[in-house]
Amino acid sequence: MKYQLVSGLETHVELATATKIFCGCTTAFGGAPNTRCCPVCTGQPGALPILNKRVVEFAIRAGLATHCTINTTTHLDRKNYCYPDLPKAYQISQFDKPLCEHGYVELESGKRIGITRIHIEEDAGKLVHESGFTFIDYNRGGVPLIEIVSEPDISSPEEAREYVEKLQLIMRYIGVSDCKMQEGSMRCDVNISLMPVGSTKFGTRTEIKNMNSLSYIEKAMAYEYSRQAEILDNGGEVVQATMRYDEHTGETSVMRTKEDAQDYRYFPEPDILTVVIPEEKVEEIRASLPELPTDKLKRYVNELRINPANAQLLYKYKAVCDFVEKAISLGAGVKNTVNLTVGTLYSKLETEDDKERFNLPVTAEEMAKLVKLADEGKINITLAQKTLSKMAEEGKPVSAYISESDLAGVDEGELEGICKKAVESNPQAVADFKAGKEKAIFALYGFIKKATQGKADIKKADAILRQLIMK
Amino acid sequence: MAISEKEIKTLARLARLEFSEEETKKFVPEFEEIINFADSINQQVEGDTASIREVTTRIATWDELREDEVKPSLPSEKITSNVHSDNGYFAVRRVVK
Repeated sequence: MKYQLVSGLETHVELATATKIFCGCTTAFGGAPNTRCCPVCTGQPGALPILNKRVVEFAIRAGLATHCTINTTTHLDRKNYCYPDLPKAYQISQFDKPLCEHGYVELESGKRIGITRIHIEEDAGKLVHESGFTFIDYNRGGVPLIEIVSEPDISSPEEAREYVEKLQLIMRYIGVSDCKMQEGSMRCDVNISLMPVGSTKFGTRTEIKNMNSLSYIEKAMAYEYSRQAEILDNGGEVVQATMRYDEHTGETSVMRTKEDAQDYRYFPEPDILTVVIPEEKVEEIRASLPELPTDKLKRYVNELRINPANAQLLYKYKAVCDFVEKAISLGAGVKNTVNLTVGTLYSKLETEDDKERFNLPVTAEEMAKLVKLADEGKINITLAQKTLSKMAEEGKPVSAYISESDLAGVDEGELEGICKKAVESNPQAVADFKAGKEKAIFALYGFIKKATQGKADIKKADAILRQLIMK
Repeated sequence: MAISEKEIKTLARLARLEFSEEETKKFVPEFEEIINFADSINQQVEGDTASIREVTTRIATWDELREDEVKPSLPSEKITSNVHSDNGYFAVRRVVK
């Protein structure tokens, strides 16, 4: 039988605040074990947690950027469970009054993946199991998280991937998280069930915990789909269970079933006051949101007329977009700016992280100067590429490579003279060209490039050459 | 309110406590007594709490939230001073197989 995949994701995103959610300890990644801890985040009796204002702000930002409504009266709840990654034996989270609800994320196809809720909570500590011991580091304990819960609107592993990528992009754009899956600042739990194609009644679901890579999410979903399909094909029933994915075997296995499901005994957190967020604050945050990725992509293609392939390459990295947009605002032409960025600078930005941070010593101001020279035909595109390449390597301004005299050297009058010489000294090429061999003109380009040390604008030269030959 | 042995067992499991059958049986009436005591509060308020306004915690205003400013943490020796520790880690009996 053919089955339809039904999936919803729970995504944990670590917020990029300076301090933890309930205390002033730093959230910086790493550090010697238990050096970023205090009585609050190690759950000492009598310690009083106080909610970090920026956590609330960031969660609202995330909510607004995913079209959620904001619950301006919100409180926290205790989620009880006994495991040593939580020193208090409960996690402070949100149960019945999440900060954000009823949003969506739009995929390229226009399909919307509903966001059920976004709530704030604290991260747990890190456990290392070795020989007879479990070693605990609470540095990460109390680091603020948002949990983004999607509706079961996802119908394929590819859609799941795109959804997570979109979330990642949105969170980075609005500056609430770096969303580095390999460092654990973004992790997903994937819920999966199957139903016969055409049915509307969901099957029994399983949940794969703690996925920290996009490709593992896709692989685990594909594996779990075939596992469940096989059970159903054989007339069996899927058992509701929590699964783990083994990256080495590519298989999922059961961690626990419904029988020993957790009973979290949620109740309102008595140590933290109910928070009332002023409407003006929400509006202030809304007004401070940058242009969101989907809007930017549309604007690049529809208004700036950037070709869709290049627009795709650019919009994924906000720092690159900021650079390009600034250069354009300083008068650089869109086409040359984009082509030089994607063509020349991207090869210098080797890693994702480099692109993420635009890790190059080229300023938008210098870029604009260079592009304008190319726009005005004062240098040809090859020289622009070479110069930009050197600028990216050496961090020097345009003037270090192209001097006033260089530019003066290719004015129109001189170019015409050189073109004449080119025609005169290449009679064979001219004859071939006249006979219809279009490519013969390259010999003339070569002559001009050599004569001007590559500084001539070949487009202009081409026009002059054609005029001269056809005379 | 009636308490069953099953509820005692569930609570024991959640609290990571182990009771013998005897203890479990003994706890049933004791728990009932505790619950009834709490329940008597209901009876005191003219037999009904439905009409009584819920007392929630005081409300925090926006300005009462904590500013996101780093404060010094405690020295790790202090954090681990009351526990068995190893190289700065809390060390407990292995929790997974």
